[in-house]
Amino acid sequence: MTDSTESPDLQRRNGLRRLKEGTYGGLFAACAAITLLTTVAIFVTLLSDAVVFFQEIPISEFLTGTSWSPNPSGGGQAFGVVPLLIGTIVVTITAAFVSLPTGTLTAIYLSEYATSNARSILKPLLEILAGIPTVVYGYFALVYVTPALEATLFPEIGTFNALSASIMVGIMTIPMVSSISEDAMSAVPDELRQAGYGLGATKFEVSTGIVVPASISGIASSYILAVSRAIGETMIVVVAMGAQARMPAVREAAFGVPFINPADVLLESGMTITVAMVQIAGGDLTGGTIPYDSMFALGLALFAVTLVMNVISDIIAERYREEY
Amino acid sequence: MATDNANAGGFGEVSRVRGIVFEYLSFGASVFGLVALGVLLVYVSIDAFDLANASPEWLLTYFLTLVVPFLAFCLYSANDSEVTRRALAALGGGLVAVAALFTAIEAVVAPIPRLNWQLAYLFVVAAPVAAYLAYVGSRGRVAAVGFGLLGRLVGGAAIGLAVGTLFLVFDELVWFLAYTFGVVPAAALYAYGRWRAADRAATAAIPVGLVGLVTAVFLRRVVTVYPSDLVIYLWTIAIPVAAVGAFLVVDRSGRTVGIVVAGLPLTVATAGGFLAAGAGLSAPTVLLVLVLAGVPTAVYVSRVIEVGDGIVGLGLPILLAAGVAAGALIVEAWGVPAPDPWLDLGYVTEAPSRTPEEAGLYPAIVGSVIIIALVAVLSFVLGVGTSVFLEEYTPESGVLGSLTRLLQINIANLAAIPSVVYGLLGLGLFANLLGFGFGTAVTVALTLSLLILPITIISAQEAIRSVPDDLRRGSDAMGATRWQTTKNVVLPEAMPGIFTGTILALGRAIGETAPLIMVGAATTVFSAPSSLFSRFSAMPMQIYAWANFPQADFRYGVVAAGVITLLVILIGMNGTAILLRNRAERGN
Repeated sequence: MTDSTESPDLQRRNGLRRLKEGTYGGLFAACAAITLLTTVAIFVTLLSDAVVFFQEIPISEFLTGTSWSPNPSGGGQAFGVVPLLIGTIVVTITAAFVSLPTGTLTAIYLSEYATSNARSILKPLLEILAGIPTVVYGYFALVYVTPALEATLFPEIGTFNALSASIMVGIMTIPMVSSISEDAMSAVPDELRQAGYGLGATKFEVSTGIVVPASISGIASSYILAVSRAIGETMIVVVAMGAQARMPAVREAAFGVPFINPADVLLESGMTITVAMVQIAGGDLTGGTIPYDSMFALGLALFAVTLVMNVISDIIAERYREEY
Repeated sequence: MATDNANAGGFGEVSRVRGIVFEYLSFGASVFGLVALGVLLVYVSIDAFDLANASPEWLLTYFLTLVVPFLAFCLYSANDSEVTRRALAALGGGLVAVAALFTAIEAVVAPIPRLNWQLAYLFVVAAPVAAYLAYVGSRGRVAAVGFGLLGRLVGGAAIGLAVGTLFLVFDELVWFLAYTFGVVPAAALYAYGRWRAADRAATAAIPVGLVGLVTAVFLRRVVTVYPSDLVIYLWTIAIPVAAVGAFLVVDRSGRTVGIVVAGLPLTVATAGGFLAAGAGLSAPTVLLVLVLAGVPTAVYVSRVIEVGDGIVGLGLPILLAAGVAAGALIVEAWGVPAPDPWLDLGYVTEAPSRTPEEAGLYPAIVGSVIIIALVAVLSFVLGVGTSVFLEEYTPESGVLGSLTRLLQINIANLAAIPSVVYGLLGLGLFANLLGFGFGTAVTVALTLSLLILPITIISAQEAIRSVPDDLRRGSDAMGATRWQTTKNVVLPEAMPGIFTGTILALGRAIGETAPLIMVGAATTVFSAPSSLFSRFSAMPMQIYAWANFPQADFRYGVVAAGVITLLVILIGMNGTAILLRNRAERGN
């Protein structure tokens, strides 16, 4: 209870030591600043070249054009992003058909059914799926999956096609869905499960009727992350999907609604946003040309989409998280 | 009540079938991806080693000389009759089941391409049983010793090869001077300071070392006469490594053992270096491999002998080597037709070629090793610095606290940016704006370091956070400053976790392809790079290039071999990381 304002100097403060402390603190702060600078640098790099691109090619033409040929042999460049968007969306949706149900079921199995022994083996093994280099997945899709699909289900499938690439993207993103969803399901308190059992529910009913709804925010944010990963995936599609920006035939349906037959896209070669970037980078890197700048415009679009999806995923996970 | 329930339209009815179906469905989903990956890996190994053309006699020979002794070794170590019974039942039952299944499929449906029942037996039954037995066996002392020895031999040789590779790019003469005038005096000062408790001497070590480094760079321009490469490596690497080895055993086992542990590998390695020079091999590489594999092995052997438990396990490398030799001998003597694997010594030591038989991965491997070394240093320093700042130096609340939260959110978002966008950053910033050149090691390494930095930071933060607060408070109570607490308490405790996270992140970097394409790394280079600013290739780039070749031999043979090489290196790195983590957990 003594009211002494001055504390005794317990540390032997001398100039050298203070200098040392300050130096190390400054060094660490500089390291941390680099992460911030990286974001700024990405943004500035993408934006500066993208602005140049949009001065040459109007944004409306970029967004609505149905033809993409940055380096045509005859002349007549075209920078319409629609075929690339169709390719990206088809790959993403098909991959989601593989990864989302599989990942969710995996999470349910790991969190509700698996013994602790099985879990300790399965979880690290699943992480391997995300650790395999994507170029290897692309090679698998091209050399093993496509011939297998050709021999069994789709005899008319092309050598380069979107389907095998999408399946591989889906398999690669399974662990993203399963690990985040499983974390959310494990966080559901046991009382809720016990209450369910107390009402006479079976294990199946508890898993699907209590645990899944209770952890739905975690599951949703894992879905968004997996989809955003699939959008940005590059090497699998580059190797296995070929590099032809094709605009699929738009068909008239019975009710007059035009639609695109998924088989037209899936079984043929195609191009996603990422493939278009890699293809330009394969030829032209010194800068100053429109194709070079178009890479940055595409990169900016990709960056914006994945950033927005991440933020949404964060918000869902934060805002709708059940607090127990 | 009971009647109410019975009337309530099936309220109390329990569907057992639905539950069971769902459980198996979800189990199937859990293993779906793994099974798919497993099948693909089986096919890619069959292609890489040309096993589809292996005759049954060849497979049987090596099964008997290599696999069976290994299984027996594990069973001997496990020393559990239940395990033995189960393993034999799996091996025998699997043989019958796989053979019957394959015969049935071939008769009824169609033959499965490039897979016969012998290979299927090896991959589906023998390999899992071997993995299981290795796991069970390693809980026994004998196999633990055997695997420990094997790991040191293989890991040491790999590090030796990697160090030798680094000197293809870095000037070994500068290293020689820097070591002589910078590292040695600094280390001596530091050791003296610690030994005599003279703080000033230890503090002076860093400036002395820096002065030495500057002197070295200056002298490199002036001095023209140097000792031979072999002497340089002997003096700068072999002798210090041997000294550390001796230092490790001297305390426990006495001076004689220490001299043997240091001297034996050193003598063998020096002799090996001279012999290799005569045989036309690279003398420094042979010396480095022998020393870096030999010294840890010698330390380990001396320790095992000292403990006196599980000495039999030391025979495992001999057992395996004898198995390979016996198999080769039998194959040679009886003229058994052998497969012609794509992945052989020539593949990893020769340059790419237009003809599949001569194609090799050597320049790409060298490129990958150098890039990974640079990325490791950069991302480790930046990752540790950032995570220490975020965990130890910033408050939880206030203006600085919100800055910390901003940094944290930013790092999480950086982790989710597609790698191809990082490639654009590297292209726009490092290659074009700063002028580091297209596809040079510097550009590639900087780009990849930024790419894996968020992963490194997040795992390092977790490691630092798991250090108990009591330790920090204890150090504070002793009057330590923040940096002293960090240096003496937090970082040593967190280091295994940080290493594990960094190695796992490096595994991500070694397989990245898209950013390399974007910054203009070469798809194919025909000779190993000679400086940091020459154009580089890397293993995934080479795989990407070859996968586009139309010839079947490239698609199915050469690329498969490249994929296996990449995956083996990846598994080696990740295995090391997991071993480190397990050891740290056991230590706690």
